[in-house]
Amino acid sequence: MMRDEAVRRLPMALSALVALALAVMPLPAAVDAFRPDFLVLVVFYWSIESPRAGGLALAFFSGLALDVIRGVVLGQHALALTLMAAWATHLRLRLRVFSVVSQSLTIFALLTGYQFVLFWIDGATGNPVTAFSRWLAPVIGALIWPLLAGLMSRVDDR
Amino acid sequence: MVAFRSTDASGRTSGLLLRCVLYCLLALGLIIFDKRYDHLGEIRRYLSVVAYPVQLAVSSPFQGWDWFRESVSSRETLRADKATLEAELRLANFRLQRYEALEAESQRLRALRENTAGIANRFVIGNIMDLDIDAFRERVLVDKGARDGVFVGQAVLDAGGVFGQVARVGELTSEVILVSDGTHAIPVQVNRNGLRTIAVGTGDMTKLKLPYLSTSADVIAGDLLVTSGLGGGFPAGYPVGTITEVKRDPAQSLAEVEVRPAAALDRSREVMFVWLTPESPAASSAPPPASAPAPASASPPGRRAATAPAQQTGAPKK
Repeated sequence: MMRDEAVRRLPMALSALVALALAVMPLPAAVDAFRPDFLVLVVFYWSIESPRAGGLALAFFSGLALDVIRGVVLGQHALALTLMAAWATHLRLRLRVFSVVSQSLTIFALLTGYQFVLFWIDGATGNPVTAFSRWLAPVIGALIWPLLAGLMSRVDDR
Repeated sequence: MVAFRSTDASGRTSGLLLRCVLYCLLALGLIIFDKRYDHLGEIRRYLSVVAYPVQLAVSSPFQGWDWFRESVSSRETLRADKATLEAELRLANFRLQRYEALEAESQRLRALRENTAGIANRFVIGNIMDLDIDAFRERVLVDKGARDGVFVGQAVLDAGGVFGQVARVGELTSEVILVSDGTHAIPVQVNRNGLRTIAVGTGDMTKLKLPYLSTSADVIAGDLLVTSGLGGGFPAGYPVGTITEVKRDPAQSLAEVEVRPAAALDRSREVMFVWLTPESPAASSAPPPASAPAPASASPPGRRAATAPAQQTGAPKK
């Protein structure tokens, strides 16, 4: 079991790096608002798939990376991502037997929770972003979740 | 249905709650330290160095593509470009002919009035990195940082006019907040009559607004706005934008004025960082330019409410 966990660290870190790159890749302004939170989805995937391999640590440090890159107050994304990854880990046994629709709905709830924590800290630190478009990301994220999780588990099985 | 490999069907994750609480406390501690005590500036500077490879890896393919497209552009395109550039250079030279004389005259007049508005004396050019920092804030990452002497609050220009100011400095990179960001404000002056006011961003790259002008203020569509240099953060006399629309509703005490920014906020690839010298003789004993501009000058993000009302608006200068 221990060895298994050690092996999983590498794909975890690699997929998180790719997701981080996708999160800051330049896109046309029209598409930009529809960009899902790739890194968050990847962290959720690993929290559900192998929680013992350090999903929470992955969540915390991925969040920290987002904080540094986005230039917001340090710890904001880290807090939101840790909370939601813990929730996903808690729900993982149920999530595994859910149908695709129920899975996507749960992911939508998790993503909305994530956005809400960000929204709340944005307000508390005095840079409120009240644009309605920030609530689009959870919808898009939930829609692409089946695709992303399917793709990742396919690659992961190799 | 997504097939998860049930590696631990036992369902036990020992101490999930405990670890969650620990990480959350750590994150909350970071937030509080960063926000309240501002102790993490140094740490952040070095963390940004760690993030640099990722940023470079993402932005370089796009820059590589631009370079490729440029290097395979046809002879015709190059000739056309050359002709345009020569024409522009000729025009610029014509305009420059009287610049030296005007500059000297302006300095004499400033000395007479003991005007302390800063004069730009050093420029460094930075390249905008191809990155989307944040979809909801108008910010760009530029490849010049603390190592090049960039400081927070520094004015940033592009070929058209005022671009923004430095919001955060990393070791190798810096974050520039655009004049069009919703939390940015800049002291300006109408070039035609010297009317001073403040231009505030709207969150839309093609628009600024002047929210503090009364309905009777003397502004018309087409007026050029330049930096007033008040507050000392920005050099005086650089174009900020052109007024596109003035709405005067008699029921309101303030006019609604829209401005089109002079800088190519959505198209620029290169920007200029500016260092100011306090120029009046009285200020000659002031500290070196790198530390001189007061950060409160043109309201760094988040401090707009504190600075904006402090400036009087609508009083035409004699």
